[in-house]
Amino acid sequence: MTDASQTVYRSLLGGDPRIGWFGSGLALAIALHVAVVAAAFFLPRFLDRPQPLRKPVIAHLVALGKPRDPRLMPRKESEARPLASSVASKPGPTASTGPAREPSRQELMERALAGAARATKNEKPDPERAGQETGSPTGTAATAEEGEKYFGEVEDRIHQNYVVPSVISERERMYLSATVVIYIGKDGTILKHVMTRPSGNSFIDQALVLALQRTRLPAPPPELASLVREGVEINFKP
Amino acid sequence: MKRLLFFALAAGAAAHAQRPSIDIRDARVQAYPIALAPSSGAPEGADVLEVLASDFDRSGLFRLLDPRSFLADPAKEGSSASTIDFSKWTAIGAQALVKSVAKVEGDTVKVEFRLFDVPHAAELLRGEYSAPRAGLRQIAHRFGDDVVRSFTQDPGVFQTRIAYVRETENGKQIVVSDADGYGPQQITSGSINLLPSWMPDGKSLAFTSFREGGGAHLFQVDLSTRAVQPLVKMGDFATGAVFSPDGIRFAFSSSKEENTDIWISPIEGGILRRVTDSRGIDISASWSPDGRRIAFVSDRAGTPQIYTMAMDGSDVRRITFQGNYNQEPAWSPKGDLIAFSGRDEHRVFDLYTVNVQTGKVTRLTQNEGTNEKPSWAPNGRLIVYSSTRSGKKQLWTILPDGSNARQVTNEQRGASDPAWGPLPRR
Repeated sequence: MTDASQTVYRSLLGGDPRIGWFGSGLALAIALHVAVVAAAFFLPRFLDRPQPLRKPVIAHLVALGKPRDPRLMPRKESEARPLASSVASKPGPTASTGPAREPSRQELMERALAGAARATKNEKPDPERAGQETGSPTGTAATAEEGEKYFGEVEDRIHQNYVVPSVISERERMYLSATVVIYIGKDGTILKHVMTRPSGNSFIDQALVLALQRTRLPAPPPELASLVREGVEINFKP
Repeated sequence: MKRLLFFALAAGAAAHAQRPSIDIRDARVQAYPIALAPSSGAPEGADVLEVLASDFDRSGLFRLLDPRSFLADPAKEGSSASTIDFSKWTAIGAQALVKSVAKVEGDTVKVEFRLFDVPHAAELLRGEYSAPRAGLRQIAHRFGDDVVRSFTQDPGVFQTRIAYVRETENGKQIVVSDADGYGPQQITSGSINLLPSWMPDGKSLAFTSFREGGGAHLFQVDLSTRAVQPLVKMGDFATGAVFSPDGIRFAFSSSKEENTDIWISPIEGGILRRVTDSRGIDISASWSPDGRRIAFVSDRAGTPQIYTMAMDGSDVRRITFQGNYNQEPAWSPKGDLIAFSGRDEHRVFDLYTVNVQTGKVTRLTQNEGTNEKPSWAPNGRLIVYSSTRSGKKQLWTILPDGSNARQVTNEQRGASDPAWGPLPRR
């Protein structure tokens, strides 16, 4: 009996009169570590946060307009109205303050894309543009589809800048695809992008990178902020 | 320390969760910026470049840069990659550059063309193209087609022809012109002639005519001899012949046996076979590019709509469900779309495409007159149609996304019923 009591006292789980209160403190520390590790694995599953989206979001921001009778012939698809922020994002007149610099190929491509965007906006606005009375002036779709509103806005904003050169072969344009992960900050800034699956066509890959660089996203709603900061997968398909 | 561990592990666990995923489709297509440097040598080079510029503009593939913005001096620069200062072309946004040198030998015009990839300072294409002075436009068309193929791997259509109906004092006549509307040649004279359709070899046309009285019937004209032969005379009328892609049979509509149906006949004649038998009117056949199916118009459900069926008349599928008057289907060379004209709620006909698989209808024209009778270019990158947007009915081309509309004909009394011819045989 005396021997058994001695064994217990010598274990690390009890206080040893020879080492005082230090033994029980050590046991408590180990228990806390175990609790922390367990919490790290299990707590995220029970935290009150939005469930990650399992399916691809195919969402479009609905245009402000009149609902259209589905039995009628469709109206011509038209561009969204220009955003005020896209005008504000133009570079300032810094070039005049320094020596003339030869533009890079990327800048030239951006200028060309901007020219193309201007050219497509020469069409007259359609007074009968289809949409919903509760839609957005920047929306491009006539009806809502599956998906979150914020991701619909992300899709529409990027899509507005998704421009590929006409000289890509029809076969490549129909079958090539690519995936880019974008990381979105609290204010909507695209913090970085990583091309996880390039298309293999330099024209298309360059167009995707330019589309992301030109895109200004709205700030995510608070409940999605942490999710989108961890990355949103953008699948570019023909 | 413990808090750090907690967040690190929590983040690690969250990273295993699947990310939100967004699919983005249907990129906008931007025309490729190209510079056509002024031609050096004989002045005929400038005429050729003018035709080439028109071809490139109409194709929608290229955006021509304004020559007034050019920084390089063509007289000093030369036309080889070693002498060209590509930085002066990148500075104006050019992605491609065309250089040319023209000379005249007797009645023959010769132009040496070179195509450059500006960002990579590399020559992509070089060749000498020659033609009699009267056929100078063909030099531009041939080089233009080679440029299109160089970039897209698809054939260009600048050397193709278009058949259409010209309004004249003496009725409606069949005309054949270059794809840009130049060099129109009237093939028929007198009576009313409609709905030209090309044999796949491009040597003859079928058309519908009242030329022999007793209603409309089908005829065929040899384009080299202008000899006209009857093709089908049956029932009250026979109209709208279209040849199968392999050229061994043709489909048409006829009112024989108390109803208007689609019929098929071997090209060499023989047994005619009726392939529709609905109580409604079935007209306007158009073959799929593989020749296995036929698109047509039927009012069997109450209003004219687009349907498809197997070549033997089985497996009928309704393709359009919007609108109450859809007509004139034209199956695209790639097989994915059918272009057609449809009447909207303002009772105006406009052009649309319908995706054969998904049924999605896309509008191509709107608020610009009446737009009808689409016909695809053989590479599927353009559609020719008739439009009243400039006043009298004329032929126009448009891209399949509804952009880049360009006028093709300028007929005094009007033009209609276009049919885009096949690629030239080499």
